[in-house]
Amino acid sequence: MTNASAVDSGFTTIHDRAHPKVIFSTDPSDFDYMKVNVPCQSACPAFTNVPAYIRDIYEKRYGHSYELNRIVNLFPGTLGRICSRPCEKKCRHGEPELGQPVSICHLKRAASDFKELGRPFLSQMFSAIGKSVCIVGSGPAGLAAAHDLNAIGFNITILEAFDEPGGMLRYGIPEFRLPRDVLKNEIETILKMGITLKTGIRAGVDIAFEEIMTEYDATLIASGCYSSNRLGVSGENLRGVYSGLDLVMDISRGKTPDLGKKVIVIGAGFTAFDCARSALRLGAEDVTIFIRGVEEELRVTEDEILDAKREGVKIRGLSLTQRIVGEDHVGAVEFLRSRTGETGPNGRRRIHAIEGSEFLVEADSVIVAVGQSAEPNSAPGAKDGNGVLIGDRNTFKSSTSNLYLTGDFLTGPSTVIESVASGRKAAERIAQDLTGQKFREWVVKMQEAVITDRQRSWDFIPKQEMPSVMPISNRIMDQKVEVEQGLTQDQAFEEAKRCYLCYLHYEIDISKCIFCRYCIDNAPRDCIKLVSSVTLNDNGAIESFWETVDWQKVNAVVIDNSRCIRCGECVRVCPVDCISVTRVELVERNLLAGRL
Amino acid sequence: MSTERFVIIGNGPAANEAATTLRQRAPQSGITVFGKETTRSYKPHLLPDVVAGRLDAEKIFASPEDYYNERDIQLRLGQKVVQVDFNKYQVILEHREVVSFDGLIIATGGKPRIPEPLEVFEDVMMTLKTTEDARLWIDRLARVDSVLMIGGDLTSLSLTRALINIGKKVFFIIDAESFWPLPFNERLHQEIHARLREKGVDVSSSRKIKRLTQLSDCSIQVETDCADFEVGIVGAFFGLVPDVRFLARSGLDIDRGILVDENLQTRFRNVFAAGDCAQVYNPVIRDYWVSIGYDNARTLGRIAALNMLGGMIAAQASPESIFSLNGVQVNTSWWMEF
Repeated sequence: MTNASAVDSGFTTIHDRAHPKVIFSTDPSDFDYMKVNVPCQSACPAFTNVPAYIRDIYEKRYGHSYELNRIVNLFPGTLGRICSRPCEKKCRHGEPELGQPVSICHLKRAASDFKELGRPFLSQMFSAIGKSVCIVGSGPAGLAAAHDLNAIGFNITILEAFDEPGGMLRYGIPEFRLPRDVLKNEIETILKMGITLKTGIRAGVDIAFEEIMTEYDATLIASGCYSSNRLGVSGENLRGVYSGLDLVMDISRGKTPDLGKKVIVIGAGFTAFDCARSALRLGAEDVTIFIRGVEEELRVTEDEILDAKREGVKIRGLSLTQRIVGEDHVGAVEFLRSRTGETGPNGRRRIHAIEGSEFLVEADSVIVAVGQSAEPNSAPGAKDGNGVLIGDRNTFKSSTSNLYLTGDFLTGPSTVIESVASGRKAAERIAQDLTGQKFREWVVKMQEAVITDRQRSWDFIPKQEMPSVMPISNRIMDQKVEVEQGLTQDQAFEEAKRCYLCYLHYEIDISKCIFCRYCIDNAPRDCIKLVSSVTLNDNGAIESFWETVDWQKVNAVVIDNSRCIRCGECVRVCPVDCISVTRVELVERNLLAGRL
Repeated sequence: MSTERFVIIGNGPAANEAATTLRQRAPQSGITVFGKETTRSYKPHLLPDVVAGRLDAEKIFASPEDYYNERDIQLRLGQKVVQVDFNKYQVILEHREVVSFDGLIIATGGKPRIPEPLEVFEDVMMTLKTTEDARLWIDRLARVDSVLMIGGDLTSLSLTRALINIGKKVFFIIDAESFWPLPFNERLHQEIHARLREKGVDVSSSRKIKRLTQLSDCSIQVETDCADFEVGIVGAFFGLVPDVRFLARSGLDIDRGILVDENLQTRFRNVFAAGDCAQVYNPVIRDYWVSIGYDNARTLGRIAALNMLGGMIAAQASPESIFSLNGVQVNTSWWMEF
């Protein structure tokens, strides 16, 4: 990795003149370093600066923590409740022998809950460009694109088919997981930048795409996936069989369908869990989610599974739906037992039916929540077999000039954070195409730092439990009671202490090292290595170490940052002060060339 | 694999039978047994008698103290495995020690099942699965006159009998779904209800616990959907659940238990699961089953060890002793052992 204290040596490394000890790098090896050593930020589709915002919470700078989130993911209060948390799956605190991942998501919510009231939201604004973009859909992707394009200086109009903005956030997630006032505030923060929102207008129906494309310099379709997938088994059209997405949307609009007492939910995603928990709130007494594989491979968060179970939802694994049984109304579902097989190219286990293992389960209603797809529309351009417009996932372009696609409409169903990232990337592309200028770029920012007060004992702090509404009966009496109550400030402080602050890079200056081994003797784990040589990858990043125990062959003493837990012990015991600390972050940087 | 390093997680009947079999068949191998409790292997179904004072605690051990030394089996008690790395073939202990293995048998058995809706009251409820649990019951019973039993597994019936014998007032809330391992039906409900009442047990018609509040060391307030009352101890007896949560995200297939083939092999080479924590598909009953009970566990432990050493022995389930529990078939010898 480029050393922050070193002289600028590469054409991609730029000194910030105002802050001479800060380096911004676009060197591929530095991006590779981030991938390996700051896995949480790299795992976030929006590249949220996780260690920095958690450190802010430790320092009780909640507003700043919120802003660090908002500048890249736009909805910290929302995502702090419903994010799929890919960062936590990569958190180094969850590695073998280190315990459980840090509750990164819950801390995001803490930043939102405790930020100062009335704090102004800062968006890096450029001067007006004099061009306009129409965005179809006001879900997370559409709103993210609108925010970024507006900040760059475009005039933005959003066309929303429903009565209120928010897309899946507003209509696809139950209120007991996402209170509407939180969502409304964050959407308004974006809209009040000067974005025009027109609700109740379905593009292609209420206004022709041709008309939109004539009026605006570019059009971006971000209308999500609202067509429910079907199981493709007999009995699916019986009364009492519901589409999961339709059900949660109906409930979001205030409807209260009668599902009966015994409800079967088929599916393994957030919608399936939302349906199951909603069913309990609608009066069902026996709710079971049937999944094809094992609970281990569910895509929802562990908290979601636990909350559903606490409320009384049962999960039955290894069950493949064969048919839905009933004369006019559903009466039962026939399943086959399944077994897990080899791992497929998508990293998921293949599921195989076990012949002859049929079993019937009675039900008053069946909710099918097995995914959704984009709906066909009348926009011009190349389409897939279902009549849905297709586009390039890298350029966001359709085959029609100045017509772009983003979010779930482009990629198929994804997560909220992926949609936000997709919307932002599409905005960047549109801005570049319409102006010929690049406005922002991701860089690796490095600056000198000192060791923190992080203590070894903090590694053993248990994960803080999210307080939730109790007793259970108080939750399920109402669709609108938010179940998770948010960490207290004390809990958030304790949870923040658990973070290893992986954005701090420790490095031994071998020219000063006297090979005393004090650092190795005091290291809490195998984070400091005696090395004979290192292997670099094609981008010049360190790929692996050749360790040796033979002192004659030792050429360096290296801190393996992928094993370092930032306890600072090595720095404290070093008698010759040869260990430096650099703060390394992936940040988005405005380019001078973009300032028109 | 005669000089290989075998690790066994668990110190119950399956684990010990596996260790003994491995030693017999692979005399040169290294065998390490990790038990998270600090006592050597014992028969947990005898614990109600220990609580009642009818049986000396020393009498429940499954084998003599020098059993392991004599067989050169390294028994590490009080050491909890918290993770297994199947890429490196290493187990990671709670105190952060990393131990490598060539072959692994997971025989962690079951732990008391607390239905998720009641998990928030876990600290207020007592279970009876370990010698430490028994010690706590003895200690608490010296200070209270009444006990509420919730659930309905066979340990609860055995303990209820013991509690009545020592003069305690017993309340009972039968949980229809947890009357484990027996299949619950109206006939059984009536029978159990009548038998408990005959013995002086106050069988509650409440269906749901709404809240449990610890008022003092010897008093707990119980709020149900029918009535509120106070008792000295609340016992939770909902059967057992495979003790495999620590293996989450390890790469093993886990449904109710660890999914294994009929030879008890997991999806990883030289990694087997045996006893209460293993779940296997059986074509005879056309469903998955987990095996419960001391004798079953010993049999499965032996099969896992033999298969680790190259055998191809299939675990058998006897359809007569299989019951359905929350959608999972349970093969039990335990209730017959009573």
